[in-house]
Amino acid sequence: MLPLLLSGLYDVFFGTVWFEQSGLVGKASLSVAFVVTLLTLFTAYMASRGLSDQNRHTDNESFWGRLTVFFWIAQGITLLLASLILLQLLKNHQFQYYYVWNHTSLDLLPKYLLSAFYGGQEGSFMLWILLSTLIGFGLIRWTRAPYRWPVMFVMAFTQIFLLSMILGWTIGDIHIGASPFRTILEEMPDAPFLQANPAFVPADGRGLNDLLKSPWMMIHPPLLFVGFSMMTVPFAFAIASLWTRTYHEWIRPALPWTLVANVMLLTAIFLGGYWAYETLSFGGYWAWDPVENASLVPWLIGTAGIHTMIIQTRSSRAHKASLFFAIFAYMLIVYETFLTRSGVLANASVHSFVDLGLYNQLLLFMLAITGIGIGFYLYRYRELPSPEKESSILSGEFLTFTGAVALLVMGLVIILGTSSPIIGRLFYPNPTPPEISFYNDWSTPIVLLMGILTVVGQMVFWKKHTWESLAGKLIWPLLLTSVATLSTILLGNVRDLYDMLIYFISWFVVFGNGAVLVSLLVKDPKLVGGTLTHVGFGVLLLGILASSKYNSFLVPPVVENFNNRVKAGEAFDEEGFPITNMIESFMLERNQPKLLNQKYLVTYEGYERIDEPRPGAQIYNIRFKSILSDEEFVLRPEVYPMNSTAGTGRVDWSVDPDIRTGWMSDIYLYVGGSALVEKQNERIAEGLSLTSDLGSNASAEAEDRRSEDSLATVVLRPNEPLVVQNYQFTFKEYAPAQQEEVPPGTQVGIRAVVDVLHQPTGKRYEVVPLFAVFIENGQSMTYSPPLRVEEWSLEVQFASVVPDENAIQLNVTGLKAFIEEDWIFVTAEKKPFVSVVWFGTFMLMAGFSVSTIRHWQRDRDANRMAKQEK
Amino acid sequence: MKPKVLFGVIAIVAFTSLLFYNFGNSISTYVDFEQAKGKQGAHVVGVWDSSKEMGFSRETMQFSFYMEDQSGNIRKVIFPKAKPNNFEQADQLVVIGQMRGEVFYAQDMLMKCPSKYNDPNVLQMQATSASS
Repeated sequence: MLPLLLSGLYDVFFGTVWFEQSGLVGKASLSVAFVVTLLTLFTAYMASRGLSDQNRHTDNESFWGRLTVFFWIAQGITLLLASLILLQLLKNHQFQYYYVWNHTSLDLLPKYLLSAFYGGQEGSFMLWILLSTLIGFGLIRWTRAPYRWPVMFVMAFTQIFLLSMILGWTIGDIHIGASPFRTILEEMPDAPFLQANPAFVPADGRGLNDLLKSPWMMIHPPLLFVGFSMMTVPFAFAIASLWTRTYHEWIRPALPWTLVANVMLLTAIFLGGYWAYETLSFGGYWAWDPVENASLVPWLIGTAGIHTMIIQTRSSRAHKASLFFAIFAYMLIVYETFLTRSGVLANASVHSFVDLGLYNQLLLFMLAITGIGIGFYLYRYRELPSPEKESSILSGEFLTFTGAVALLVMGLVIILGTSSPIIGRLFYPNPTPPEISFYNDWSTPIVLLMGILTVVGQMVFWKKHTWESLAGKLIWPLLLTSVATLSTILLGNVRDLYDMLIYFISWFVVFGNGAVLVSLLVKDPKLVGGTLTHVGFGVLLLGILASSKYNSFLVPPVVENFNNRVKAGEAFDEEGFPITNMIESFMLERNQPKLLNQKYLVTYEGYERIDEPRPGAQIYNIRFKSILSDEEFVLRPEVYPMNSTAGTGRVDWSVDPDIRTGWMSDIYLYVGGSALVEKQNERIAEGLSLTSDLGSNASAEAEDRRSEDSLATVVLRPNEPLVVQNYQFTFKEYAPAQQEEVPPGTQVGIRAVVDVLHQPTGKRYEVVPLFAVFIENGQSMTYSPPLRVEEWSLEVQFASVVPDENAIQLNVTGLKAFIEEDWIFVTAEKKPFVSVVWFGTFMLMAGFSVSTIRHWQRDRDANRMAKQEK
Repeated sequence: MKPKVLFGVIAIVAFTSLLFYNFGNSISTYVDFEQAKGKQGAHVVGVWDSSKEMGFSRETMQFSFYMEDQSGNIRKVIFPKAKPNNFEQADQLVVIGQMRGEVFYAQDMLMKCPSKYNDPNVLQMQATSASS
């Protein structure tokens, strides 16, 4: 009785019953969270309203406030419960749930469990919501009156929309949200096989997208969503400021949050770029893809906001701009979420986004945020403070403000490009995305303007200057800039005038801000945040320019010549059309080195099969050896079968590049195809598995090939090696034939000593075939039995002697039989100065972090002061 | 104050017009193979025709396949690179390039990757193989 009871209990809580029901529990938790958040909206509103003019500066511990905290905690608990249930379902392979089936499989490594959690739209919404809840707790803890409850009101407002995306409610004909807990039956109620067997549970899931199985992809999405949810905070503060009509004080608590949000977004963008570079075979870290733009634009606007907020803390200006940027940055996060998740960009992006039926909800979210943000802003616009007198051009305020406007303009240009499926309809019915040059052409001049502004702005920000004194300060930086630019032009063989200008300004940003950095380090190291960021900006510019201009493909001399002809417009195809595409990859046979770009001797040394964690994957060993120095290294790119959609009789391969990272340049390489992959494709087509033994039918294959071989005639002179296919034949000398070996009546009997070398393996055999002329029935006959080299399935026959040329003739069969077919296709690129891009990004991160600490301390000190006064 | 505002308005209008003009030039519309004739950088949407030969030529270092555009035209497409990752998986292709005679030379190719979502076929397969 008791064991039965116990196992029953076990089933309820951990076993089949639990898994059947836990989806319902998860769904219910999300619903409770949604309702509780609606209540929070109400209580936070009441708590905010209670702030009359008399008590608005006292910390509010009202009834409504306490209730808000209570509901927020309830929201946190229910969301945590739902997340844990989803994790547990993923971990226990409960494939009856659609999300689990769609994003995991039995062979998923535990470390990618979290990646699977946010691998799909529903889960990533859940992560976003969960992080927003956490941030809500931070806001409750650290925000003072009068902002605490208005800010929580806005947080609850955005939470409601986000939660609605994963509710999974059906009211009449209206579906609200796509629940991560829906079952396969709920997902496709009309599928015939499910109607036949509603209890059907798939044996295995479809697995996590292979490209997401990267350590970078484990941290990139969480950081991105931390950035997204923290960007809600400046928005919330801006709305709270409009609500409470305190247009100045909100900056101090909002600024540290904005700075942290920016660092998080920047780090996420960096990780995304690094992942694109390292895992995808895109060949670069930035492609102006809509998804990349979606994270960049809010960052640009947030950065603009930081600039105006800093002006405001310093000199009570730019109130309107700070409010606008804080609102606009979050609007853009929602807008870009709409673009990327509603299916609008389906044709424009290499990333896959499919409409989960959330189009209307996302649209509503966007309209609501725009309405409350811009609407409220315009409603209060007339009473927002304006500066009494305008600042002069040569003031920190003016230049910083111009910088913020430049950031805004750059953001707007990128939004325009990204929105091409919508805005492009002004021009075409079914518009394509813009060419990459659109982004580059427009962002470059804006960035150059920003560069100049950073130097001049930083100089006058810390010290009052007249034009004359400023010019005096700039002498040294300009001198250094000129030297650096000249060296760059000479060393980098820069011919383009525009490029020279870009180099000049980039170096100017580095040295100009560097000068300020040095003087600040002497004065007070705590102040260096902004300056450090600006130096990093200059380094980043240099890195971007250098890495994009000097990218070159590593190819052998033949291909190089061909490419030069293509470049000169001298290459034509069979039909006489000019060839415009350069060849970027080349073939390497095993152990047959090729010289790339007159520098590297590159040898393919063979492959290893690895079945963990991806069964059937291969790693190729490619050795680079410099002929100019003693530099030597091995790159190990991977080719692996995608686990996803391929049915029986087919396999899809994916590549994982390997990168040799250097200070000056990276070497980036991937294998685009190989003999092994082709062999595996054939085997799969025959219904064999990828991981079964490869060698079993090798000899049969060799026999097959032998029969196809035609006879080859080889004429050899003494000691003159001759290469045929993979073999090198050398006729060394004649040797006498023994009497008993030759047929009776032999007139001439002789053997030839021939050295045969199999070049790819370096193995050699000496064959000594016989040649005899004998008389039979009055006729002259030849006798030349073929000799066989078993290992290579090669047969050598001494066919005749060519006396006047002092040469012998051999008939060889089986030349193709033993080609150990092992070749790979390689695309190799030299990517200079990518490390400089990373270094610049790190400096930006460090600078923002230093600023965060400084402004956070300021806010804390101000709070302490306020408390002491009380 | 007045001339300043005027200057600002003119600058904004000029910038915006230039931006939009350039934007309009840098986008185009999706076409089929017939419409792509005589166009540089044409975007053609279609699906891979798996019934015809497909493969990478080691001599010319080109990948070629047949694609059916949305008007039903089937043309050979030549792509001067190795076969991209998950080519076979894509349920839609966008090739960017130009027609030469009856052959489309693509400089670039985008793969619209599978709606992993809402695809009952795979499940159907699992269901039938499980029951048999």
